[in-house]
Amino acid sequence: MKISALRIEKFLRVSSFLIVLGLVVEIISLLWFHPLSFVLFAFVGITLIGLGILVYLASLVFAGPATAEEKTST
Amino acid sequence: MVGLLMSQIILSLVLALAFLIRPGVTANVGWKIVAFIGLCILPAMCIVGGMNTHIVRSEQRRFCISCHAMEPYGRSLYLDDSKFLPAQHFQNHRVPPDTACEACHADYSIYGPLKDKARGLTRIFVQYVSTPPEPASIRIEGGFKNGQCLHCHEGARDFMENPVHSSLMASLMSNQMSCLTSGCHDAAHDVDNLKNEKFWSPGQ
Repeated sequence: MKISALRIEKFLRVSSFLIVLGLVVEIISLLWFHPLSFVLFAFVGITLIGLGILVYLASLVFAGPATAEEKTST
Repeated sequence: MVGLLMSQIILSLVLALAFLIRPGVTANVGWKIVAFIGLCILPAMCIVGGMNTHIVRSEQRRFCISCHAMEPYGRSLYLDDSKFLPAQHFQNHRVPPDTACEACHADYSIYGPLKDKARGLTRIFVQYVSTPPEPASIRIEGGFKNGQCLHCHEGARDFMENPVHSSLMASLMSNQMSCLTSGCHDAAHDVDNLKNEKFWSPGQ
Protein backbone atom coordinates (compact mmCIF):
# COMPACT_ATOMS: atom_id res chain seq x y z
CA MET A 1 0.00 0.00 0.00
CA LYS A 2 1.26 3.47 -0.85
CA ILE A 3 1.83 5.73 2.14
CA SER A 4 -0.39 8.44 0.64
CA ALA A 5 -3.28 5.99 0.65
CA LEU A 6 -3.17 5.76 4.43
CA ARG A 7 -5.96 7.61 6.20
CA ILE A 8 -5.06 10.57 8.37
CA GLU A 9 -6.97 8.97 11.27
CA LYS A 10 -4.52 6.09 11.40
CA PHE A 11 -1.58 8.51 11.59
CA LEU A 12 -3.33 10.54 14.29
CA ARG A 13 -4.10 7.43 16.36
CA VAL A 14 -0.45 6.28 16.23
CA SER A 15 0.84 9.80 16.91
CA SER A 16 -1.56 10.35 19.86
CA PHE A 17 -0.73 6.94 21.30
CA LEU A 18 3.02 7.62 21.20
CA ILE A 19 2.56 11.08 22.71
CA VAL A 20 0.28 9.79 25.50
CA LEU A 21 2.82 7.07 26.31
CA GLY A 22 5.72 9.56 26.27
CA LEU A 23 3.86 12.03 28.48
CA VAL A 24 3.04 9.29 31.00
CA VAL A 25 6.75 8.39 31.06
CA GLU A 26 7.58 12.08 31.58
CA ILE A 27 5.13 12.35 34.52
CA ILE A 28 6.65 9.22 36.12
CA SER A 29 10.17 10.60 35.64
CA LEU A 30 9.20 13.93 37.23
CA LEU A 31 7.60 12.28 40.26
CA TRP A 32 10.55 9.90 40.77
CA PHE A 33 13.55 11.67 42.31
CA HIS A 34 16.37 9.38 41.22
CA PRO A 35 19.30 9.53 38.76
CA LEU A 36 17.55 6.88 36.65
CA SER A 37 14.56 9.18 36.20
CA PHE A 38 16.72 11.42 34.00
CA VAL A 39 17.71 8.41 31.88
CA LEU A 40 14.06 7.31 31.68
CA PHE A 41 12.99 10.76 30.46
CA ALA A 42 15.94 11.40 28.14
CA PHE A 43 15.94 8.01 26.41
CA VAL A 44 12.34 6.74 26.63
CA GLY A 45 10.13 9.80 27.16
CA ILE A 46 11.77 12.07 24.60
CA THR A 47 11.96 9.25 22.03
CA LEU A 48 8.24 8.45 22.36
CA ILE A 49 7.07 12.08 22.31
CA GLY A 50 9.48 12.91 19.46
CA LEU A 51 8.26 9.95 17.40
CA GLY A 52 4.66 10.99 18.07
CA ILE A 53 5.37 14.50 16.79
CA LEU A 54 7.15 13.09 13.71
CA VAL A 55 4.24 10.76 12.92
CA TYR A 56 1.84 13.70 13.23
CA LEU A 57 3.98 15.84 10.91
CA ALA A 58 4.22 12.90 8.49
CA SER A 59 0.42 12.74 8.48
CA LEU A 60 0.30 16.34 7.24
CA VAL A 61 2.61 15.48 4.35
CA PHE A 62 1.73 11.91 3.38
CA ALA A 63 -1.82 11.17 4.48
CA GLY A 64 -4.33 10.92 1.66
CA PRO A 65 -7.55 12.96 1.49
CA ALA A 66 -10.62 11.62 3.23
CA THR A 67 -12.90 9.50 1.10
CA ALA A 68 -16.51 10.54 0.34
CA GLU A 69 -17.69 7.93 2.83
CA GLU A 70 -15.48 9.43 5.53
CA LYS A 71 -16.70 12.93 4.71
CA THR A 72 -20.32 11.94 5.21
CA SER A 73 -19.56 10.17 8.47
CA THR A 74 -17.99 13.30 10.05
CA MET B 1 7.94 25.74 37.82
CA VAL B 2 7.22 22.00 38.02
CA GLY B 3 3.54 22.84 38.65
CA LEU B 4 3.40 24.83 35.42
CA LEU B 5 5.09 22.01 33.51
CA MET B 6 2.69 19.48 35.03
CA SER B 7 -0.36 21.47 33.94
CA GLN B 8 1.15 21.75 30.45
CA ILE B 9 1.71 17.97 30.37
CA ILE B 10 -1.85 17.27 31.58
CA LEU B 11 -3.34 19.62 28.94
CA SER B 12 -1.23 17.94 26.28
CA LEU B 13 -2.25 14.52 27.59
CA VAL B 14 -5.97 15.41 27.47
CA LEU B 15 -5.67 16.66 23.88
CA ALA B 16 -3.65 13.62 22.77
CA LEU B 17 -6.19 11.30 24.42
CA ALA B 18 -9.03 13.13 22.64
CA PHE B 19 -7.33 12.57 19.26
CA LEU B 20 -6.59 8.95 20.18
CA ILE B 21 -10.27 8.28 20.87
CA ARG B 22 -11.81 10.50 18.17
CA PRO B 23 -9.27 11.17 15.38
CA GLY B 24 -12.14 11.90 12.98
CA VAL B 25 -12.81 15.33 14.54
CA THR B 26 -9.82 16.74 12.63
CA ALA B 27 -11.95 16.91 9.47
CA ASN B 28 -13.05 20.31 10.81
CA VAL B 29 -10.59 23.20 10.21
CA GLY B 30 -10.78 24.43 13.82
CA TRP B 31 -9.91 20.97 15.15
CA LYS B 32 -7.02 20.77 12.67
CA ILE B 33 -5.50 23.78 14.45
CA VAL B 34 -6.19 22.18 17.85
CA ALA B 35 -4.52 18.97 16.60
CA PHE B 36 -1.44 20.94 15.54
CA ILE B 37 -1.24 22.52 19.00
CA GLY B 38 -2.01 19.28 20.86
CA LEU B 39 0.15 16.90 18.85
CA CYS B 40 3.05 19.14 17.92
CA ILE B 41 3.44 22.43 19.83
CA LEU B 42 2.48 21.29 23.35
CA PRO B 43 4.41 17.98 23.28
CA ALA B 44 7.51 19.83 21.99
CA MET B 45 7.12 22.31 24.88
CA CYS B 46 6.78 19.35 27.27
CA ILE B 47 10.12 17.98 26.00
CA VAL B 48 11.88 21.34 26.52
CA GLY B 49 10.26 21.91 29.93
CA GLY B 50 10.98 18.35 31.07
CA MET B 51 14.62 18.55 30.01
CA ASN B 52 15.04 21.89 31.79
CA THR B 53 13.44 20.55 34.98
CA HIS B 54 15.60 17.42 34.94
CA ILE B 55 18.79 19.43 34.39
CA VAL B 56 17.97 21.83 37.25
CA ARG B 57 17.09 18.85 39.46
CA SER B 58 20.33 17.03 38.64
CA GLU B 59 22.26 19.99 40.07
CA GLN B 60 20.82 19.42 43.53
CA ARG B 61 22.90 17.90 46.31
CA ARG B 62 20.23 15.36 47.24
CA PHE B 63 20.21 14.17 43.62
CA CYS B 64 24.00 13.57 43.70
CA ILE B 65 23.96 11.70 47.00
CA SER B 66 21.00 9.54 45.98
CA CYS B 67 23.61 7.28 44.33
CA HIS B 68 24.90 4.81 46.91
CA ALA B 69 28.57 5.52 46.12
CA MET B 70 28.08 9.26 46.71
CA GLU B 71 26.33 8.91 50.07
CA PRO B 72 29.54 9.17 52.21
CA TYR B 73 30.57 12.25 50.20
CA GLY B 74 27.26 13.83 51.20
CA ARG B 75 27.85 12.93 54.86
CA SER B 76 31.34 14.43 54.71
CA LEU B 77 29.75 17.86 54.23
CA TYR B 78 28.67 17.67 57.86
CA LEU B 79 32.17 17.01 59.28
CA ASP B 80 32.63 19.13 62.38
CA ASP B 81 36.12 20.36 61.54
CA SER B 82 36.85 23.52 59.56
CA LYS B 83 40.04 22.06 58.04
CA PHE B 84 37.83 20.02 55.68
CA LEU B 85 37.28 22.32 52.74
CA PRO B 86 33.95 20.96 51.38
CA ALA B 87 32.39 20.86 54.86
CA GLN B 88 33.60 24.39 55.62
CA HIS B 89 32.18 25.74 52.35
CA PHE B 90 28.87 23.91 52.78
CA GLN B 91 28.29 24.74 56.44
CA ASN B 92 29.16 28.42 56.07
CA HIS B 93 27.10 28.80 52.87
CA ARG B 94 30.16 29.76 50.82
CA VAL B 95 28.43 27.64 48.19
CA PRO B 96 24.63 27.33 47.91
CA PRO B 97 23.89 24.40 50.27
CA ASP B 98 21.24 22.87 47.99
CA THR B 99 23.62 22.73 45.03
CA ALA B 100 26.88 22.31 46.97
CA CYS B 101 28.22 19.38 44.88
CA GLU B 102 27.57 21.17 41.59
CA ALA B 103 29.11 24.45 42.82
CA CYS B 104 32.56 22.85 43.26
CA HIS B 105 32.44 20.04 40.70
CA ALA B 106 30.73 21.66 37.70
CA ASP B 107 32.78 22.22 34.59
CA TYR B 108 32.56 25.98 34.06
CA SER B 109 33.91 25.90 30.50
CA ILE B 110 31.68 26.70 27.53
CA TYR B 111 30.71 23.06 26.81
CA GLY B 112 31.03 22.17 30.51
CA PRO B 113 27.35 21.42 31.21
CA LEU B 114 27.26 19.00 28.25
CA LYS B 115 30.46 17.29 29.41
CA ASP B 116 29.04 17.08 32.94
CA LYS B 117 25.88 15.39 31.69
CA ALA B 118 27.90 12.92 29.59
CA ARG B 119 30.07 12.10 32.63
CA GLY B 120 26.93 11.73 34.75
CA LEU B 121 25.47 9.21 32.29
CA THR B 122 28.74 7.23 32.37
CA ARG B 123 28.50 7.11 36.17
CA ILE B 124 24.88 5.93 36.01
CA PHE B 125 26.03 3.18 33.62
CA VAL B 126 28.79 2.17 36.04
CA GLN B 127 26.35 2.24 38.97
CA TYR B 128 23.67 0.06 37.39
CA VAL B 129 25.31 -2.00 34.64
CA SER B 130 28.94 -2.37 35.63
CA THR B 131 30.49 -2.78 39.10
CA PRO B 132 30.35 0.44 41.13
CA PRO B 133 33.66 1.35 42.78
CA GLU B 134 34.21 1.71 46.50
CA PRO B 135 33.35 5.32 47.49
CA ALA B 136 36.86 5.99 48.83
CA SER B 137 38.49 4.88 45.57
CA ILE B 138 36.54 7.33 43.41
CA ARG B 139 38.81 9.93 41.85
CA ILE B 140 38.02 12.88 39.60
CA GLU B 141 39.17 12.22 36.06
CA GLY B 142 42.23 14.41 35.42
CA GLY B 143 42.27 15.61 39.04
CA PHE B 144 40.53 18.58 40.63
CA LYS B 145 41.18 21.68 38.52
CA ASN B 146 42.02 24.99 40.18
CA GLY B 147 39.50 26.61 37.87
CA GLN B 148 36.73 25.21 40.07
CA CYS B 149 38.10 27.22 43.03
CA LEU B 150 39.09 30.28 41.02
CA HIS B 151 35.65 30.50 39.44
CA CYS B 152 34.50 32.06 42.75
CA HIS B 153 37.71 33.05 44.53
CA GLU B 154 39.55 34.85 41.73
CA GLY B 155 39.12 38.57 42.31
CA ALA B 156 37.73 38.14 45.83
CA ARG B 157 39.43 40.61 48.15
CA ASP B 158 40.44 38.27 50.98
CA PHE B 159 41.75 35.74 48.45
CA MET B 160 43.74 38.20 46.34
CA GLU B 161 45.17 40.08 49.34
CA ASN B 162 46.49 36.87 50.88
CA PRO B 163 50.27 37.08 50.16
CA VAL B 164 50.55 33.30 49.58
CA HIS B 165 47.81 33.34 46.97
CA SER B 166 49.04 36.47 45.20
CA SER B 167 52.62 35.19 44.96
CA LEU B 168 51.45 31.86 43.49
CA MET B 169 48.71 33.23 41.25
CA ALA B 170 50.46 32.39 37.96
CA SER B 171 51.06 28.76 38.99
CA LEU B 172 47.50 28.48 40.27
CA MET B 173 46.02 29.89 37.07
CA SER B 174 48.04 27.51 34.90
CA ASN B 175 47.25 24.49 37.12
CA GLN B 176 50.97 23.93 37.69
CA MET B 177 50.25 23.98 41.39
CA SER B 178 47.09 22.44 42.74
CA CYS B 179 45.02 24.19 45.41
CA LEU B 180 44.21 20.79 46.89
CA THR B 181 47.19 18.50 46.45
CA SER B 182 50.12 20.87 46.94
CA GLY B 183 49.91 20.72 50.71
CA CYS B 184 47.83 23.87 51.24
CA HIS B 185 44.20 22.72 51.29
CA ASP B 186 44.57 18.96 51.20
CA ALA B 187 41.70 17.99 53.50
CA ALA B 188 38.68 17.33 51.30
CA HIS B 189 35.99 14.68 51.76
CA ASP B 190 38.12 12.09 53.58
CA VAL B 191 35.45 9.40 53.17
CA ASP B 192 37.91 6.73 54.38
CA ASN B 193 37.87 8.00 57.93
CA LEU B 194 34.29 9.17 58.39
CA LYS B 195 33.73 6.57 61.13
CA ASN B 196 36.25 8.31 63.38
CA GLU B 197 35.05 11.87 62.77
CA LYS B 198 32.65 14.12 64.66
CA PHE B 199 29.67 15.50 62.74
CA TRP B 200 27.90 18.83 62.88
CA SER B 201 24.16 18.80 63.30
CA PRO B 202 22.49 21.91 61.78
CA GLY B 203 19.75 21.99 64.42
CA GLN B 204 22.17 22.42 67.36
